[in-house]
Amino acid sequence: MTKIITTIALFVCSLLSAQTQFEQGMGRSLGLWGEGKAQEASDLMERISAAEKTNWLPNYYVALINTTEAFKPANKAKVAALLEKAQNAQDAATMISPNNPELMVMQAMIYTAMIVQDPMVNGMKYSPKVMELYTKARIIAPENPRVVFSKADFEMGGAQWTGADVKKLCEEIASSIPLFERFKPETPFHPNWGLERAQQSLKNCK
Amino acid sequence: MKTIYTFLFFLVVLTGNAQQIVSGTVLDEKSKPIVGANIFIDGTYDGTSSDENGNFKFTTTAKGNQILVISFLTYETLKAPIDVATCQDKSFKLKESVNTLDAVIVTAGTFDAGDKARVSVLKPLDIVTTAGAMGDIVSALQTLPGTQTVGEDGRLFVRGGEADETQTFVDGIRVAQPYGATTANVPTRGRFSPFLFSGMSFSTGGYSAEYGEALSSVLLLNTQDEAVEEKTDISLMTVGLGLANTQKWGNNSLSFNSAYINLAPYQKVFPQRADWNKPFQSLSGESVYRHSFTNGLFKLYAAFDASQFDINSESINNPDKIRVDLDNNNFYLNSSYKGNFGSQWQLFTGLSYGYSQNKIGIDSDNVANSEHSSHLKLKLKKSFSDRVKLSFGGDYFITKFDEEFKAYEGNTFNSGYDANIAAFFTEADIFFSKKFAVKLGARISNNDLLQETVIAPRASLAYKISKNGQFSFAYGSFTQAPRQDYLKYADYLDSEKAQHYILNYQYSKDRRTFRAEVYFKDYSDLVKYDTEATQFNSDFNNSGTGYARGLDVFWRDNKTIKNVEYWISYSYIDTQRNYKNFTAEVTPSFVANHSLSVVSKWWINKLKSQVSITNSFSTGRPFNNPNETQFMNGRTKGYNNLSLGWAYLMTQQKILYFSVSNVLGTANVFGYEYANSPNTDGVYNRRTIRPTADQFFFVGFFWTISENKKENQLDNL
Repeated sequence: MTKIITTIALFVCSLLSAQTQFEQGMGRSLGLWGEGKAQEASDLMERISAAEKTNWLPNYYVALINTTEAFKPANKAKVAALLEKAQNAQDAATMISPNNPELMVMQAMIYTAMIVQDPMVNGMKYSPKVMELYTKARIIAPENPRVVFSKADFEMGGAQWTGADVKKLCEEIASSIPLFERFKPETPFHPNWGLERAQQSLKNCK
Repeated sequence: MKTIYTFLFFLVVLTGNAQQIVSGTVLDEKSKPIVGANIFIDGTYDGTSSDENGNFKFTTTAKGNQILVISFLTYETLKAPIDVATCQDKSFKLKESVNTLDAVIVTAGTFDAGDKARVSVLKPLDIVTTAGAMGDIVSALQTLPGTQTVGEDGRLFVRGGEADETQTFVDGIRVAQPYGATTANVPTRGRFSPFLFSGMSFSTGGYSAEYGEALSSVLLLNTQDEAVEEKTDISLMTVGLGLANTQKWGNNSLSFNSAYINLAPYQKVFPQRADWNKPFQSLSGESVYRHSFTNGLFKLYAAFDASQFDINSESINNPDKIRVDLDNNNFYLNSSYKGNFGSQWQLFTGLSYGYSQNKIGIDSDNVANSEHSSHLKLKLKKSFSDRVKLSFGGDYFITKFDEEFKAYEGNTFNSGYDANIAAFFTEADIFFSKKFAVKLGARISNNDLLQETVIAPRASLAYKISKNGQFSFAYGSFTQAPRQDYLKYADYLDSEKAQHYILNYQYSKDRRTFRAEVYFKDYSDLVKYDTEATQFNSDFNNSGTGYARGLDVFWRDNKTIKNVEYWISYSYIDTQRNYKNFTAEVTPSFVANHSLSVVSKWWINKLKSQVSITNSFSTGRPFNNPNETQFMNGRTKGYNNLSLGWAYLMTQQKILYFSVSNVLGTANVFGYEYANSPNTDGVYNRRTIRPTADQFFFVGFFWTISENKKENQLDNL
């Protein structure tokens, strides 16, 4: 009897400790990112992804961190390498979780970074792909605030070329704010960013 | 007691997993420390980053044999098997990734365009927006060094080679008839619309063993791998109409593009020098179907074009004009499959079939000819690592040509040939480091008509001398079966041969590219004949020789001036050949010694317009004046053409395009046609060959209707 209890307890304990290890790792990595230590955060996420081969989140964050870094002017020389890293992680995450609207937004952001890097070459190639991804994501998750906001934000970026209706895009951004407020992530580590950026964009509208 | 015991046991299990220290140093190939590398044991949370001396140290509960992963941006990820117990103070070397943007690339002889190219000299859009190119891929390539502008012909002439020394490939498969049908002194155009292609590679020499049957150059066009969106394109032009549509469903997509060109209305408004009975008109269509599998991609490309014209052609030897009435039908089908299998293997296979039929009325005589040509290809590529790749494969070309000449109320002459060429090729790509790469290959081919087997070695290497500069060198031996005009009368000939030696320097930094290339080309076994024109009783042989040497310089700058992109190409060539019915080794009439092109594009945001200017200049070309004793001693005056283009973006989806060639109205002379026999004063009369019109005006309206826009309109309702 004791043996059985011990075994069960052991099993539960090891499960709990694995869980804790994941949470600890994710928490620490996101903390590092918050402190501006992007590379260390990405490295830790990469280590977590190597251990948690069925969870898309660590790869998602590797992609998100490196893409965010690629947008920073200071990293201009490294953009190609950062985006390659992001794309590899993105591919791994999509393999684990296909048809995930959060990952579609992520892929669209990688393409957007490529457009920003060289608009003349990549603009024509990636803009339609970005729009296609956002359109697909919106069909799957019409209430996802990141989908709604990122799509409008992307179109806003191109508005001076496309002559898109800025007023309508601003309305779309405004409509994303209550969605952000209502949004409940599945776990504390699921994507839950974007409210501040949306508020910032909305300010520019006025 | 038992409880305490159990509790203690837990503690031991949880914390007492004997912790091991793993430590070491991460170094690069030059044994310098790498700072910030990510080191961890695969499948665990245990790991750390390397410090400023490249050192790392962490504890792990993992035991025994494990995989240590070390990754760092722009380096190859290292996966080293270790035994945790003994892995202390070990040093690990990371190799720089050769897949990065700043790795060396073999550039000798090759200009890459399109999205896969790392140093792209032309972008697909450039074809459409280069003033004077008029949407013709070949015209846009003529702004690159190494090419000749031969206005009366329109085809690509590369480094002293004839136009048919360049072969065109679509998705790796040969196109036997890449140009539209034409007659003497009326320039032709490439058959392909630039819109269906995502990239191209234009080699002016020293190219890979994968390509054969081309003495001078290959032009590789790649159709788009995937359709980005569903859309419809409508074009209304002063010379015709175009319609294109793309559909996507599941893993499939289909694009088609069709055009109807009729020069009659244009020529009514702007009279031409040529005397047309029926100006050029053509109906053409192209389509690409793609299906993607999990590990591969299938493409089917088909093109059809029917063209016709009727012209009264002038000749100095005839008091009356000669009427040429031409009907051409051309069909081209190309299918290919590219896929990955096994461990790092790539398979490419493809097949093409081309059919061209001409019916030509020359006054009252009739010529009818047809050509069936096929190309089958299989290529396998194995990547042993990022650094070593081996490819090998085979080609099979089938050509069947038949011609019937029927003289007015006279006899019928038939000529033609059947040729099969089988070839095998192999090539290895080796990166010794990020700075030094070598490509070695060979090609062996057998032509059953000529009953000959030839071996052609190819080699190229590239060495990076600084962060942005590199040298490349290429050598190759190239062979090509004699052209149709000769083979139909003489199957006893051998292939023509050329050796290329190319040295290239390239400097590329932040949207600026400079390249300079010197080359030497040695021709042998060129075909000679002993009559005025080729005919069934000409005596043909392979005793012709020739050489070409020169310097090509290219500079592209998209940075210095805001919103302005420009490029400058300069070519110097010294070439002579003794071929055809030449009496001496001389510079042929399609060669200008110096050529200079300047192309610039200026985006004016306020006007939502792109203004483009192209100026092409070349020195005079040789011609033979029978009034002089020396063969080919004449020189025409120089050629200059300043073209302007203006694209106005009405909305993102509507573009108005206006262009005019030869704004300055320069009276260009392409050459002279001399009489076969002297007049009563003993002088050979001549006729000047000039463009069919000095200037060309073009107005087009291009409208794209895409899904995304549609969606927006729906939202607005």
